[in-house]
Amino acid sequence: MSVPNEETTAVDASAPEFLLDQHVKYIQALDTKKNDLEYWLTEHLRVNGLYWGATALHILGHPDALDQEQIVEYLVKCQHDNGGFGGHIDHDPHILSTLSAVQILITYDRLDAIQVDKVVDYIASLQNEDGSFSGDSWGETDTRFIFCAINCLSLLKKLDDKRLDLQKTIDYVVRCRNFDGGFGSSPGGESHAAQVYVCVGTLTILGALHHVDADQLGWWLSERQLKNGGLNGRPEKLEDVCYSWWVLSSLSMLNRTHWIDAPKLIRFILEAQDTETGGIADRPGNMPDVFHTVFGIAGLSLLGYPGLVAVDPVYCMPRHVIQRIGLIEKH
Amino acid sequence: MESRHGRKKEQAESPEALKTREEKETVLVREYLALKDTLKEIVESNKRDNDALKVTTALLRKSPDYYTIWNVRRTILKEGFLDNASDDETANKIYTGELEFVQENLKLNPKSYWMWNHRRWCLESMSQPRWDKELAMVGKFLEMDARNFHGWDYRRYIIRQLDLKDKEAKDKVLERAQSEFDFTITKIHQNFSNYSAWHNRSTLLGKLAEDMSTEEREAIVDNEFDLVKNAIYTDPEDQSAWLYELWLIGREERSISILGAHVISFHPLEIVVAFDETVKMRNPFTVSTRVDHVAIPLEGEWKATGSDSALGSVWIFQQAPGAVYGPTVEIVIFSDDVCAVRAGSKLPAAVCYELETLNQNLDEISGRLGRLVIGQNLMYDVTKRIGPVTGPDGTLETQAVHPKHRVTSLTESGSLDDRIALLEREISAVRELVELEPDCKWPIQILSTLLSELRKTVSIHSTQAKVIDDECIELQEKLITIDPLRQERYEDRRTQLVFDRETLSIIQDSKRFPEIEYSAKQPTNLDLSMRGLTHIPISSYLLHLHTLNLDSNSITSTRFLRNLLNVRRVNLSNNLIEHLEGMQHAPSLEFLTLENNMIAKWEDVVAGFVFWGEGKLARTGGHVKVLLGNNPVVVNEGGEYVLEKRWEDVGKVGVEIQWQSEELRLAEEALLAAEDETGAVGNMVVDGTRRVSATVVEFDAGLAH
Ligand SMILES: [Zn+2]
Repeated sequence: MSVPNEETTAVDASAPEFLLDQHVKYIQALDTKKNDLEYWLTEHLRVNGLYWGATALHILGHPDALDQEQIVEYLVKCQHDNGGFGGHIDHDPHILSTLSAVQILITYDRLDAIQVDKVVDYIASLQNEDGSFSGDSWGETDTRFIFCAINCLSLLKKLDDKRLDLQKTIDYVVRCRNFDGGFGSSPGGESHAAQVYVCVGTLTILGALHHVDADQLGWWLSERQLKNGGLNGRPEKLEDVCYSWWVLSSLSMLNRTHWIDAPKLIRFILEAQDTETGGIADRPGNMPDVFHTVFGIAGLSLLGYPGLVAVDPVYCMPRHVIQRIGLIEKH
Repeated sequence: MESRHGRKKEQAESPEALKTREEKETVLVREYLALKDTLKEIVESNKRDNDALKVTTALLRKSPDYYTIWNVRRTILKEGFLDNASDDETANKIYTGELEFVQENLKLNPKSYWMWNHRRWCLESMSQPRWDKELAMVGKFLEMDARNFHGWDYRRYIIRQLDLKDKEAKDKVLERAQSEFDFTITKIHQNFSNYSAWHNRSTLLGKLAEDMSTEEREAIVDNEFDLVKNAIYTDPEDQSAWLYELWLIGREERSISILGAHVISFHPLEIVVAFDETVKMRNPFTVSTRVDHVAIPLEGEWKATGSDSALGSVWIFQQAPGAVYGPTVEIVIFSDDVCAVRAGSKLPAAVCYELETLNQNLDEISGRLGRLVIGQNLMYDVTKRIGPVTGPDGTLETQAVHPKHRVTSLTESGSLDDRIALLEREISAVRELVELEPDCKWPIQILSTLLSELRKTVSIHSTQAKVIDDECIELQEKLITIDPLRQERYEDRRTQLVFDRETLSIIQDSKRFPEIEYSAKQPTNLDLSMRGLTHIPISSYLLHLHTLNLDSNSITSTRFLRNLLNVRRVNLSNNLIEHLEGMQHAPSLEFLTLENNMIAKWEDVVAGFVFWGEGKLARTGGHVKVLLGNNPVVVNEGGEYVLEKRWEDVGKVGVEIQWQSEELRLAEEALLAAEDETGAVGNMVVDGTRRVSATVVEFDAGLAH
C-alpha cells in the first residue's frame, strides 16, 4: 500500500543511525505507561497523541503497529452530539482534537465509523463574522484554529458548504501577515514558524498562495536554521525538533526546501533521538515525547531520508493517503 | 499543539531510587485519579457549589492544560455564583479571585494557552475590568521573559480592548499607540535582539503614520533608520534590526509586463500572449475581430501552457470551431484580468494588441510580434468588455497616469528621485559596514537588496544596470562562501541575476517604463552553457528561441520547456535533472539532449510525456528525439545498454529515445554511412569490448491517443 520515500538524499555518514524499530516500540508502548502521573496529566492530548503516533508509524512504514479497531472504537466515543471531538472520552469538544480524529480516521480509511455531516456542522458553527474560526464554543480565536477547520473540511471534501465564507477566511489570514512576510496568531501577532505553517497551509488549501511573498517568507524561514543544523521558530530563539516540521513544510509549500542545509538538519534530528527508549526529544539530551517524535520523523521524510514513507507537507499525513482521497494527483 | 519542552533526560537511577520514585508516583496517580472521579460526579450531578469549585482548583493546579476543567470551572462560577450574585461588588470579588488564581499558576506555566484564556474570560465578563492593572501585570511578565509570545499577544489584546472602549476618542487611541511605541523602545534598548519588540514597533509605526503629514512621516522614518544603525553597529550578526531595516526600505512594487503577443497558428487561429511572470487569469482576455469595420467578439478559449491551465506566464488562445475572423484580431487585457502569483505586482493599465491575419504564411510570421496599440481611439467599455466606445482622449484606462514611487515602506513620492536618494544614502551607509565586517552576511544581503531596488529605477540596458548586476552577482558569490547553510538560496538569486544579464538581447524597456517587452528583433539561438544556473527564472523570455544551449549548469527541472513554443533543439547535458516534465507543450521540439543527468527511473522519463497525446506535437505528427546516454536509468546489462522497461508501457507516442551516448551514435552513423557507400550491410558498433545496442524505439505519432 505505502511506498517508501522516492527522493533519497545524501546522508552524512558520520550522523547517528535512524532507530526505526525503537521508534515503533516507543510509540506502541505509549499507552502502557499507566503508572506514570505524566500519562494521566496528558489525557487531554490523547486524541492528538493518537494522531501523532499513528502518523509517525505510517511514515515509519508500520501502519499496523497499533490496533486499528480499538482506535476507531475509542474515537467514536470521543465524538459529541454537536459533532466535535474531545481530546479524550468525556473531554469537551475542540477543533484541535476534531481535526486529529478526522486525520486518524482518514489515514485508516474508516470515516464510515462516524457521522461526517455532524463534524461539518460543528466546524461551520465555529466560523466567526470576520472569517476566522474559534477553537470551541468558548470563542478563543487563533490562526491555528483556522487551519484546523480548513484542513478538516478539505479532508472531508466539504469546503463548498454553503454556510462558510472562505473569502473572509482568506482576508483574515492575509491580515495576519507581518512586516517580515511571516504570519502571527492574530492580526498584529508576531511571526512564528508554527503560525506561518498554519497560515501558508490554509492559503495553499484555499488556492490563495499568491498572497504570500514566497521569496521574502522563504528568506525568513531559511534564516531559522542555526549553526548546529536545527531550526528555531522565531529570530534569536533556540532550535527545536518540532520546527523541523513547521519551517520545512512551509518551505515545501513555497517550493524552497533547498534553501536550508538538509544534511545538517537531518543530523540534528537524529541526534535528538533517545537511544535507550526510542522516540525523539525537542533537542539532543532531552526527554522524548510523541509530539517531537512525529514531527522529527515527518521532517526526515520531507527531507527525503531513505526508507521512510513520503509525507504530505500540507496535511502532515502519508502522501499516499492524500492521493487516495484525491486531494493530490498520483504521479 | 504545544507539548512538553525542555525536559532534561535524567541519569539512570539506582534500583532503590527507582523503587522509591515509583512508590511516590503510585500515590500521586492514585490521588489524581480520585480527584478525577470526584470531578466526574460533580459534572454528572450538576453540582455548582464551593466544594465543586475546590475540586477544579486542585485538578488545575496539577494539570493546567486540562481545558475541560477550565470549562467546568467557568460553568460552576457562572451558574453557581455569578448568576445569583446580589451586586457587582460580589461578582467582582469572584472575578478578582479568579485572576489571582490564574496569576499564581501563570508563574509556573507561562505558556499555557488555557490560562490566558480564562483570564480574558474574567475580564470580558467583569462590569469594570481594570485594564490598567492588566497592563502593569503583563509589563512585569515581559520583564521576566521579554520574548514570551503569550505575553506580547496579551499586551496587544489589552490595548485592543482599551481602544475599543475609546472608539470615539481618536486622540486617546493615538496617545496609547504612542505610549506602546515608547514601550518597545525601552525593550529594544534593554536588548537590541528583542525581535518581539521590533515586530510590535512595526505595527505601531504603521498606525501612528496613518494620520501624519508627509514631513512628519519622513522625520519619524529617518529616526527609525538611526535606531537601526545603532543596533546593527552594536551587533551586525543580529538579524532583528536588519529585518526591520529591510522593511523600512520597502520594495518598489513591480508591475506585471506583457512581453508581447503573436499568432502561432491560423487554422485554427491560435494566439499566444507572454507575461514576464506567472499570472493567474481572473477574466478571459477579450479577443475581437473586425468584420466590415465592426468589432465582434471572437469565441475561443484561453489556457496557460502548464499542467495547471489556470496559471502561467504563457497563455494560448484557441478559436472555437466554426468561429470566423477577419484581417485583424485585437486582444485587450484589462488590469484586473490578471493577478500575479508573487505578492504585490499588478498590471498597471489595460493593454491592447493588434494582430495581422492577412498574410497566413506561418513560417514568415513565426516570431513576428503583434503591434502594441497605445493611446489610439480604442476605448473599451470595461463592463461590456468588448466594442469601441467613444472616449475623449482615446486612452484605454485612465489609471496609472501619475505613478507613485515608494520611498520607504511607509512613504511614497510622485518623483523617483526621492526613492533614489534614500537608496543611495542607505547603500553608502551599508557599504561602510561591509568594509568593517567583510565576513558578516547581513550587511552584504542588505546591500544586495538595496542595489536591486536601485536597479528598478533605471533602464535595463543602462550602464548602471549592468554595473549593479555585476556587483550583485559578486555579492551572492561571497554569500555562498560565508553562509554555506543557505548556499542554494544565494545560488537561486545568483541564477536570477545571471539570467537577467544574459537575456538582455531578448527584452527591451517598454514604451511604458518600468515595464518591459520583447525586443523587436528576437535572437533565435541562445547559449547559456556553463553559467551556474539552478533553474530558468522566467521561461516566457525564451518563447522565440529555436536553439537553447544549457549544457553544464545545475538545472534540476525541465518544467520550463513547456513555454518554449518555438524551440527545436535544447541541450541540457551535464545538469542535475532527475525526471522529465513539461514536454507536452513544446510543439516544435525535435531534439532534446539530456546526457549526463540523474534520471534514474523509467517512470521519470515517461512522466514527461504523460500528456503528450493531448499536446500539439502528437497532433501534428512531429517527432522528438531524446538523448539519455549516461543517466542512471540506462543500465549496462551484460555489455548491452538497456532501459528498465519498454516504451510500449505508456502507449504509442511520437517519441524516439536513444540511450547510448551521442558520441557513440555519431561514430555509428559514420560507420553506417561508410557501409552505405560500399553497399555493405549495417552492423552493430563495437566499442572496445562492449557491444552497444543501436536500437531505438519508434512509434507512429498518428496513432497517439
Ligand atoms: Zn518543540
